Amino acid sequence: MLKVLLLGAGTMGSVHARAYKSLGNVELIGIVDRQEAKAGKLSANTSAKVFTSYEEAVAKLNAIDVIDICLPTHLHKEYVMKSIGIARNIICEKPLGLNVTEAGDMIAACEKNNVRLFVGHVVRFFPEYKRIQSLLKKGSIGTPAVVRTTRGGAFPRAWKNWYGDFEKSGGLILDLLIHDFDFLRACFGNVERVYAKKLNREDAVGENIDYALVTIRFHSGVIAHAEGTWAHQGFSYGIEIAGTKGIIDYNSAKNAPLKHRSKGKKMDGAAVEVPESPLASSPYRDELKHFIDCIVNGKDPVVTAYDALHAIEIAMAALTSCETGQPVTLSTGELTRGNEI
Amino acid sequence: MKIGIISFAHGHAYSYANIIRKYKGLELAGVFDEDESRGRAVAAHYHTAFYTKLHHLLAADVDTVIVTSENSKHAQHVMAAAKAKKNILCEKPIATTAEDAKNMIACCEANGVLLQVAFPVRYSTPIKRAREIVQKGGLGKILAVKGTNRGTNPGGWFLNKALSGGGAVMDHTVHVVDLLRWFMDAEVKKVYAEIDHLIADEKIDDCGIVTMDLDNGVFATLDCSWSRNNHYPTWGDVTLEVVGTEGTLGVNAFDQKIDVYSDTEGASWKYWGDDMNEKMILDFVDAIKKGRQPFVTGDDGLKALEVALSAYRSSESGQTVLNS
Repeated sequence: MLKVLLLGAGTMGSVHARAYKSLGNVELIGIVDRQEAKAGKLSANTSAKVFTSYEEAVAKLNAIDVIDICLPTHLHKEYVMKSIGIARNIICEKPLGLNVTEAGDMIAACEKNNVRLFVGHVVRFFPEYKRIQSLLKKGSIGTPAVVRTTRGGAFPRAWKNWYGDFEKSGGLILDLLIHDFDFLRACFGNVERVYAKKLNREDAVGENIDYALVTIRFHSGVIAHAEGTWAHQGFSYGIEIAGTKGIIDYNSAKNAPLKHRSKGKKMDGAAVEVPESPLASSPYRDELKHFIDCIVNGKDPVVTAYDALHAIEIAMAALTSCETGQPVTLSTGELTRGNEI
Repeated sequence: MKIGIISFAHGHAYSYANIIRKYKGLELAGVFDEDESRGRAVAAHYHTAFYTKLHHLLAADVDTVIVTSENSKHAQHVMAAAKAKKNILCEKPIATTAEDAKNMIACCEANGVLLQVAFPVRYSTPIKRAREIVQKGGLGKILAVKGTNRGTNPGGWFLNKALSGGGAVMDHTVHVVDLLRWFMDAEVKKVYAEIDHLIADEKIDDCGIVTMDLDNGVFATLDCSWSRNNHYPTWGDVTLEVVGTEGTLGVNAFDQKIDVYSDTEGASWKYWGDDMNEKMILDFVDAIKKGRQPFVTGDDGLKALEVALSAYRSSESGQTVLNS
């Protein structure tokens, strides 16, 4: 039975806590959050103890096997570094760090101390994306050529609006588009160059919206266009891949298997439609199950900490391109650790 | 009104001829085509005269011409028609070089004839409605636009650069650029493009993602790829996703469709919306009758062409380029 300490009881922390409760070989032994009530709520029906500080938790808990970091991005490095020496395994939410240097330092420190580091790039575990990967492998659409992705919805609401603070979240390109950068890299290999546009800071912060369009050229020749939005209503995501022999197209907004509308109580109250795509096991659960399996059985994960680093590298190139107004060419081959672009 | 068609090289010529045939006040008065067998066949089909020489068609009883020849021949055909004092509807892109386009515009002005460039998407009813919402401030201040004009590889002379001036980027950049200019009364000032031939065997560009900065501060991207394959349910699309401070708008010019699953014809989307080509031809005729400026001018054609040419320059240099 692996003993897990969960840091953060926000949106992702809740999702992870729920997943751990349903996994047989894991015991959630502690939950840390400054807001005790939030952590308390998650601890229901578990033996998990609730703490308001990390220090208190590690002082009172024995034999922590896994520390799972579901904190805002700007805190990832601090808590990964603190967790080394306490637990042999760390699971960290995406993006791994705020930049390539942070991510490189975390990976180096974990390697040096024989700590396994897993990063929650959950899109790899979404069945629709797994299916797309297998169709590509099968050659169903020949050689991929032009790829379009979309992701986003309304501006995310969270603790102290940390998503709205670029210094804390890295903004839309690092926080949200990182999913597509990672998936595209998994499908089409290393990136040659990136050109990107995003709303300027005044428009984005003033209206509490953000929007970015990123063009990525891969070494394989594939041209990809990624749309990231915190300007729309209702979360959705999609990907279209046009190849030499066909097209793969998926959009969660157009393919909702279940739509629930409750009758508005007031006459003027328009019913809100809540789309769902129910699965026996959520992608988040599958992700954590896989990481636990990797820990227990010494397997390599399907998405590595280096993949997480490379995804950040693409995001940083996109951000640099937004700043300079020019395309950014990525250094070829494997990055050296901590190599800033 | 007696209308002549110069060349059936571009498939749109058939759509235009069908529209002319449909209206009583319009007459397809003659056809010239360098491809004699094609020209004779279409003339017979439409019960009209075939001319083996362009100057014969221009000397005949014809008020107006539609130029639907290969892109690089637009200049010679338009200028010959202008000199013969014919009003002209020219297929897009207006030409394959900015110099040709400028000469065409000057020649039409000098001869006092009307020159309209065929950007039918401006006549699409959903597109017009989208522009109305945008222009009335329904989205607040416009910040960004994501556009697509994807299509099926048209084959034939489109793949011969000497005739087409380029592949997908030349073919499919101009429509959306024209819409951006028309929606926002703004000009494209900077262009970056990733362009390649990744799908077809022929060595001409069939994939392109173009990013544009406009002089009103808006950024926009366009996917102009010939990326719709044989089994895709339709030929292509024109879409815009517009992001503003007060909201977003998505418009798809061809989404008024029925899904058909046929054992004999396969799966396809059958369009039932208004016919933008028909509205364009009727408006072109109206402009001639009223002696007014055409809705889409030669200059609009030139401005859109310049962005396509900038996209190629960007791709060749690997840098952003100033659009001029």
